[in-house]
Amino acid sequence: MTDADRFEAFVRRYQDMVFATAVRLLGSPAEAEDVAQTVFLRAFQRFDTIGESPAAAGWLKTVTTNACLNHLSRYRARWRLFSELERTAPGNADADFGATLVSKSSPALEFQQADERHQLEQALAQLPDHQRVPLVLFHFEEISYQEIAQALGVSLGKVKTDIHRGREALKKHLLTSHGSR
Amino acid sequence: MDPADLEDIVDRQLKSLPFPRAPHTLLPRVLAAVDQWARRPWYSRAWFTWPFGWQVASLLVLALLVAGGAVLMPGAIAAAGGAASRLAPGAISEVADIASRVDAAINAGRVVWRALIEPLALYAFVLVALMGVACAAFGTALNRVAFDRT
Repeated sequence: MTDADRFEAFVRRYQDMVFATAVRLLGSPAEAEDVAQTVFLRAFQRFDTIGESPAAAGWLKTVTTNACLNHLSRYRARWRLFSELERTAPGNADADFGATLVSKSSPALEFQQADERHQLEQALAQLPDHQRVPLVLFHFEEISYQEIAQALGVSLGKVKTDIHRGREALKKHLLTSHGSR
Repeated sequence: MDPADLEDIVDRQLKSLPFPRAPHTLLPRVLAAVDQWARRPWYSRAWFTWPFGWQVASLLVLALLVAGGAVLMPGAIAAAGGAASRLAPGAISEVADIASRVDAAINAGRVVWRALIEPLALYAFVLVALMGVACAAFGTALNRVAFDRT
C-alpha cells in the first residue's frame, strides 16, 4: 500500500468524525467542509507520526475544535460582544415539558421523530455562536465548563449562562415540535 | 424546570441526533489539496517539512551568520568611526556641541521636575489610581445590573 493509499484510507476512516465535530461547532456544512479540509492537510503534513498512531482520533478532534474556534473568531462576530441583551421570557409550560418528550414507541411516529430530529439539528445550527459553541463542547465533546471557559477565553459564569440559554432555546423548539403532534 | 432536568433532557435529545456524515465532496477536495501542497517546492513549505539535509544546512548558515556578525561587528564599528572622522572632521565637534546642549536641557528639566512636579506627583498618581478604580467598579456594576454578565 502506497503512502497515498494509506492517507486516503486514513481520511475515509476519520472524515465523518472530523466533519461532525466541525459542523456541530460551526453550524454550517460549507464552512465545516473547509475546516475539515484544513485539518486533513495538517494531518498529512504530520502523517508519519500520526498515521498509525492510536491517538490520531484524539489529535484530529483537538485540531478540529481549535480550527473551528479560530475560524469563528476570525471570520465571525465574537461571542464576547453583544452577548445577548434579550432575555428569554419565563415560559409557563415548564411543568409538563419533560412529559411531552416521553415518546411512545409506535411505528407511526418514526417518520415524525426523524423529522423532529432534523428540526432539532436545524435549531442547534441556528443558535448564535456564543450559545451553540459551548453547548456543543459540553454535550458532544463532553468538555467541562471550566475547560470550555479556558478554551473560549471567557468567564466560567458566562459559559454557564450561555449554555443555559442555549438549552432554553432548544427547549422552546422541542416544546413547539412536540406540542404540534 | 430544574436546570439539572433541563440539562438531562437536552443531553438525551442532542445525543439521539444522527451522526453527521461527511459530504462525498470532502475526500476529493482533501486529496486535491494534499496533491497541490505536495507539488510545492520544498523551500516554500514550513521549515520543519524541509529535507533533513537542507534543514542542517540552513542551521549551519544561520550559525555562521550569527558568529560572523559577533566577530566582525566591533571591527566594523571602529572602521566606520575612523572613516567618518576622516571624511568629515568638522562633524565630530558638531556632534560634541549638540551633546553638550542636550545635556544642559536635561539638567534644566531635572531642576524643574524637582522644584515643581515631584512634590505633587504622588498626589496626582493617587488621584489617577482612584479614578481608575472608580471607573472599573462602575463598569462592573453596569455589566452586572444592565447586561447580566458575570
